[in-house]
Amino acid sequence: MDPGTQMPNLLEHLPKAQRDDVADAVTHFLVKLSLKEFMPGGAKEEEHAVGKKLFHKIGCVSCHESGQGVGLVHVPMKYGMDSLTAFLFQPLHTRPSGRMPDMNLTRDEARSIAGYLIGMEGRGGLRLKPEAVKVAAGKKYFEQFNCVSCHKLPGIKAKPSLALAKLRVGKGCLSVQPKGMPHFYLSAAQRETIGKALKGIGKPLRDQARIQQTMVAFNCIACHTRDGAGGVSDVMFKHFGTDEEGLGNPARIPPTLDGVGVKLKPEWLRKVLFDAETVRPYMHTRMPQFGEANLQYLPMLLEKVDRLQKVEFPEPKRDDRRKYREGGHLLVGDKGLNCVACHNFNGNPSPGLKGLDLLTSFERLQPSWFAHFMRNPQKFRPGIVMPNYWPGGEAVRKDVLGGNPNEQLLALWHYFSLGRSARDPSGIRAEGTDLKVTNRTRVYRGRSRVAGYRGIAVGFPGGINYAFNAQNGTLSALWLGEFVSVYWGGQGAGNFNPRARPIELAQDVSFYRLSKNDASWPIQPVMDKENPVNPDPLYPRNRGYQFMGYQLDGEGVPTFMYRTGEVAVEDTANGVVANRVNRLERRLRFDASKSETVYFRALTGQVRSLSATQFATDAVKMQVPEDTALLRGEGDTRELLLKLKLPKGKSEIRIRYELLR
Amino acid sequence: MSCCVNTGLTGVLTLLLAMSTSAEEVGARWGTEKREREFYRVVSVPLPKGEVIEAGAFELMPDNRLAVGTRRGDIFLMNGVDDEKPQPQFEKFAEGLDEIFGLAYRKDDKGDKGGLYVTHSAELTRVLDTNRDGKADRFLTISDAWGYRNYHEYAFGSKFDPQGNLYVALGLSNSYHSRALFRGWAMKITPDGKSIPIASGLRSPGGIGPNEHGAMFYIESQGPWNSSCSLKFLKTGGFMGHPESFNWYPFATDLKRPIEPESGTRVVTEKEKVRELVPYAVIFPYIRMGRSITGYVVDRTGGKFGPFENQIFLGDYTQSIIMRATTEQVNGVWQGACYPFREGLSTGILNVQFTPMGRLLCGGTNRGWPVRGIKPFALERLDWTGKMPFEIRSINITEDGFRITFTKPLDQTTGNNIKSYKIATFTHNYHSGYGGPEVDSNNPVVKFVELAADGRSATIVLSELKIGYVHEFDLGALRDRNEGELLHHNAYYTVNEVPKG
Repeated sequence: MDPGTQMPNLLEHLPKAQRDDVADAVTHFLVKLSLKEFMPGGAKEEEHAVGKKLFHKIGCVSCHESGQGVGLVHVPMKYGMDSLTAFLFQPLHTRPSGRMPDMNLTRDEARSIAGYLIGMEGRGGLRLKPEAVKVAAGKKYFEQFNCVSCHKLPGIKAKPSLALAKLRVGKGCLSVQPKGMPHFYLSAAQRETIGKALKGIGKPLRDQARIQQTMVAFNCIACHTRDGAGGVSDVMFKHFGTDEEGLGNPARIPPTLDGVGVKLKPEWLRKVLFDAETVRPYMHTRMPQFGEANLQYLPMLLEKVDRLQKVEFPEPKRDDRRKYREGGHLLVGDKGLNCVACHNFNGNPSPGLKGLDLLTSFERLQPSWFAHFMRNPQKFRPGIVMPNYWPGGEAVRKDVLGGNPNEQLLALWHYFSLGRSARDPSGIRAEGTDLKVTNRTRVYRGRSRVAGYRGIAVGFPGGINYAFNAQNGTLSALWLGEFVSVYWGGQGAGNFNPRARPIELAQDVSFYRLSKNDASWPIQPVMDKENPVNPDPLYPRNRGYQFMGYQLDGEGVPTFMYRTGEVAVEDTANGVVANRVNRLERRLRFDASKSETVYFRALTGQVRSLSATQFATDAVKMQVPEDTALLRGEGDTRELLLKLKLPKGKSEIRIRYELLR
Repeated sequence: MSCCVNTGLTGVLTLLLAMSTSAEEVGARWGTEKREREFYRVVSVPLPKGEVIEAGAFELMPDNRLAVGTRRGDIFLMNGVDDEKPQPQFEKFAEGLDEIFGLAYRKDDKGDKGGLYVTHSAELTRVLDTNRDGKADRFLTISDAWGYRNYHEYAFGSKFDPQGNLYVALGLSNSYHSRALFRGWAMKITPDGKSIPIASGLRSPGGIGPNEHGAMFYIESQGPWNSSCSLKFLKTGGFMGHPESFNWYPFATDLKRPIEPESGTRVVTEKEKVRELVPYAVIFPYIRMGRSITGYVVDRTGGKFGPFENQIFLGDYTQSIIMRATTEQVNGVWQGACYPFREGLSTGILNVQFTPMGRLLCGGTNRGWPVRGIKPFALERLDWTGKMPFEIRSINITEDGFRITFTKPLDQTTGNNIKSYKIATFTHNYHSGYGGPEVDSNNPVVKFVELAADGRSATIVLSELKIGYVHEFDLGALRDRNEGELLHHNAYYTVNEVPKG
């Protein structure tokens, strides 16, 4: 049924008919235990295809390549899609011994691989309804044959078994024809080998041997080498892929485990083994998780056994830190050793090959290993593309830190130790993120030169964009083209910049009650280096303005809500591109508790009057309601005010902005 | 040929274990990570591909989904965070807000105040999904009663207190100045939307919320007038220590401007002159206990998270660690202790939240400041394995010493030996300079110890309790009844008051 299984035949000694009865009853008993009913059926075509790819990509083949290793031919008969998916998602649940490791699959990935293994027809079609009599009998047999000795089941205790050291070849299950015993169908050679192994079974293994045993038992050597054993064979090589081919074999083949106990910091070694931590996103195979309980001893053994001549990097004295920090910064960048040509740095991609992030070095590596590795990368990873920057002990860069190799290595180590605060080296650049507008209007809040600190950018699908200064209740910029670029580097929140040259409008409060037509407009307080403290901190609240928020409609178009005095304003603008005219249609709706006159400052600068309702600057043409416009001032300090006589209750006006560039 | 020599010899050569070449910026490790993982596992929570989720705030929604507010201004709703191998589904509920450091859900089925309240730099916003399509569509400004003129002017929001108030802590301008209205103040936002400035003197808050007794606290960062990070009681009318924000008293009509504190003094003496000065309740010795402490939460899991029920759990940004704290009120003044808990998280922790199953969700970013954890952003879950760690559970002050409780019974020999209890004291200068060293160190004598019959607590009597000093405990010599060592043997108690006998 399942070639290569370690499950012995327990019923060999029974007559055929009785054998079938026992098997039938145990089956009823086991099916009864299932929480979920078996669902027959195969995989969808896509699941099968994706699963096949994954199976050959992430390392499954290393243990399950057809013809070698652990066979999977029984899988379609044994599992349904749901049960195999559940098993692959968390294999340690079903098999806590960890011989089938957790491959860090997502649920979807687990289902795809299940689909590949089961196939699209799905052969297991029998749905069994447990019969009470058989369930009871099955339970009896389960206990009688001591199944629980290997298959744990709550409530059933295993019978005491003979200690391994007391087993003898030729007796019990190690006899040629076991009678009333589990039958493993062992060959003479297998029995002999087991016999030899049993002789030393009572003695604890020496550390080195225990490591080697672990490497074989968990098949670490299918992908890694250690002590001259294991590694990826020529046949399997094609299954070890990478996204960064230029980095050569080290980007495909998992690193050697020679000296891993002195390479990785103890905490990091545990994270790799037990927490699925990884730093090589380009490598396609995944590091399997065998379960902490199964390998808890391994890190300690590796740390105990592996040796490396110690190199210390003393913490630089306070006065020297700057020297080393700057030395490291220079060496890593493209004006130094250009490490960033092949390494990412601090989460930012290298402009060249995207090799592992250098800032992980300090967290992962032991300093001694780092020092030895850097002086001779080839010795540690034959075939690595990384050059030796200190060939024959001589620094390539003689102009940095006196060309002293130890000093340069200390500088690199110190620089990496700074973590996030390490300044990005030359050649690495953190860039802004472009926010894209697709088929829905987009709203983004953040500080901006064109909208103040409480700025809100609005981008319409057609390519019209505007900015609203919510601090002052003012439409403060318009532009045509892409939406905004946001900088999410450093300490600050994402400040936004229009992706095209904006038409900038005044940012002072828009609505106000002037005492007379020629009274001056309340300008927002100005702060500069000499006078950094806000001299009028309540502006524009003390001019009657209060922002209330916004509502998005079904298309994502915001309506800004605010008050000016006792008047509630709802402010909706829509970008329209039609007949080669780019415009913003703005609708202002008012709800006033009493009838009153308010002024709206529509446009400033070199405003020209085109008609009683049309006004323009070089950049924008405005259409305003009849009998409202009031153009005042001179030259480039003109102001277009709208004098609005609002009735009690609801009213509205419309304004159009035509973008002239 | 490998350069590493594998040998079968054991214990002969010097072992090359964790050589902590301590990084200047983030400080040395506690060195306990290897042992901690036996009791508290760090489980990585996978994030959706292509999304940058720099968590700054969490809230549990009525449907048991977890809301995650991010520095990039998004709010995600997350399902399935408690699965053994979590693969949560994330739905983007809202986007485009400005650096979220507070999420608080208010249930109000009958009234019109329900919804998710979001504290971000610009304002406190009530966010609603009015058409119930799963996406927020209504953003109502509840309070923007503070100035915002510099990117460093972060705003941290609490959850609602039982009276329905929400508290906002406002950092200084550029972390040194107060150039916009109420920078360096805390505000109370009442249920009817009034914004009331309640306390001045904040510097650079990292989190705000109640302590385990329900009193409103915030966490302050080391810097001018703060030699270390500390948990502080947010007293109405109080002054939190940094006088830069005094210029806004004319705008806080009910409050009177305190007199200026004198630099180069001590909090314990200065508070006698500057009556509004609230002594720092729990001081976290700098570097040893965090370098920039952030969001915190009280364990109300009913024991699901282990033996620290009703204690405060705090994240630290720089060191990617989680710590604990306990507080108590003595003579009307808050004080308490802090304890190491778990190190080795993957990014700078900005906030923490208990999940419905009682696990601690930790999240953040390493953008902008030095961080030990190497991931640009991450969500991680701390799971109690069910194994009982041997830990200092809590420390309380008595009239002549302390009562220390443990998570496991002590053995008689070490527990009854006064030499097992090493106490040192130190304090800090109170000054306008940035940070400051531990000064006036001393070692009070432990005169007497009484071990409780069950071995779970010990009461010690000291030669002297020093008011205004941090009392540092090193209990490394104690053993449990299986000769086990404490997982962490340090704790730090800040004495502001001594109970009257």
